[in-house]
Amino acid sequence: MTENSSIYWNPLLETMDREKLRNLQLKKFKRIFEWAYYNSPFYKKLYKDAGIEPGDIKTYEDIKRVPKIDKGMLRNTQNKEPFPYGDILAVPLTEITEFRQTSGTTGTPVYQADTWQDWEWWSECWAYILYAQGYRDTDRLFLPFGYNIFVAFWACHYAAEKLGCEVVPGGVLDTEARILKMQELKCTAFAATPTYVLGMADTAKKMGIDPKSIGIKKITCAGEPGASIPTTRKRIEDAWGAKVYDHIGATEIGAWSYMCTVQKGLHVNEAFFLVEIEDTETGEIIEEPMKNGKMIITAFDRYAKPCIRFDSKDVIRWADYDCECGRTFRCIDGGVIGRADDITKVKGVLLAPTAIEEVVRSFEELSDEYEVIVTKKGDIDDIILKIEIKPGYESRQEDILKKLRDHLRVKTNLGYKIEMHPYGSLPRYALKAKRFKDLRKH
Amino acid sequence: MIIDDKIVKIDEKIREIKMAADEIEKLGGYIEAIKKNLVRLRASIKMLELNVSDIKMVM
Repeated sequence: MTENSSIYWNPLLETMDREKLRNLQLKKFKRIFEWAYYNSPFYKKLYKDAGIEPGDIKTYEDIKRVPKIDKGMLRNTQNKEPFPYGDILAVPLTEITEFRQTSGTTGTPVYQADTWQDWEWWSECWAYILYAQGYRDTDRLFLPFGYNIFVAFWACHYAAEKLGCEVVPGGVLDTEARILKMQELKCTAFAATPTYVLGMADTAKKMGIDPKSIGIKKITCAGEPGASIPTTRKRIEDAWGAKVYDHIGATEIGAWSYMCTVQKGLHVNEAFFLVEIEDTETGEIIEEPMKNGKMIITAFDRYAKPCIRFDSKDVIRWADYDCECGRTFRCIDGGVIGRADDITKVKGVLLAPTAIEEVVRSFEELSDEYEVIVTKKGDIDDIILKIEIKPGYESRQEDILKKLRDHLRVKTNLGYKIEMHPYGSLPRYALKAKRFKDLRKH
Repeated sequence: MIIDDKIVKIDEKIREIKMAADEIEKLGGYIEAIKKNLVRLRASIKMLELNVSDIKMVM
């Protein structure tokens, strides 16, 4: 660690020796475990039933004995007092200052309670992200999101203020108005989902504005894996003439990982979070790189509604490289590869929807939109891929289709029924896109 | 080692700010404007602790 390390938000933690870092994680795990045990009725019961108490966690290995929680358990606890969070709450209700909720796409929304301290912590996590991506007090950051009950880029807003950036809230504006405002104010950066970033570029072009002329230098993406998929990232960077960085976070967890300016993997903020990757078949914790597993995550410093060994269902893998930025925080490779619920066997082959996106987005002749539908006819699985060809390429349709089929087969080992749809006819999404539909489950 | 010394010194100063916040609360905590702004101050102090003081646990 050097004293003048201006590329780091906090060099003391970000370049900490790994053995020390691991020891710090153990100490911090014990602290939050003890807090939850003595302050949250939900956690106390969970741990008592499992026969584990604070004094039992002495080594890193002992952490594996701590029961996991999942979204279903978070939902169930909401049926208890205090309303609306339930008995997971570890502080008096009067200390809660922030309400957010999950989108509810997989069931009843999970309500998230934060004290002002927890909210400071959220923005502190984001400060690590933004600083690593080169945000400084010279930036004018535009935030084109809804500013509503979903956490989205709320903490990004507060963190950018902390860094000294000038933050322009682009809340209740339509896409055209947002583009005009970014242009008018000469904004240097913005943050949105990859789908929306691409949609904004499309809208700008329709308005006769070249997105590159606006002067955006960097874009931070979240909410979908796109910015970690090289072909999607390239598409966005080409459209905007800007650097694109990924970040991963979740309402129940916090902002736990970030791509730095090297743009390789995503660093896990290991000073604030413990990420474990679990083998979905054996249940063992995976330490070796490039092996997919399900993420189990702990937020060390979130106190009102602690998040301890949360089974996120996100599929990730450790990278087999160190980042040249000098951070000792371990990297994950390729961001969130999929959801444990989405990665599914089709025709006996494991299919990750992100692999399809990587192929589709590598074809400049195709639009940004696509849809994958898995169905079953009798005992046979079918995969339908809906795509749009950009105007001007229609005459090459057959050639494009053939190439697409070949690339998909090489990448995913599967054959697809490809449907061409008129340009602009597939659904456009402003927030998280839902492009993968497995109808066999219904 | 120089860094470790600095961490110890910064941590001492953080604790002093924390104690000052406690003293302010004792003196004027009955005034809402003081009490509620101290909540914010303490949250910021906590962030300093997470960034610096926690490191003392592994020194």
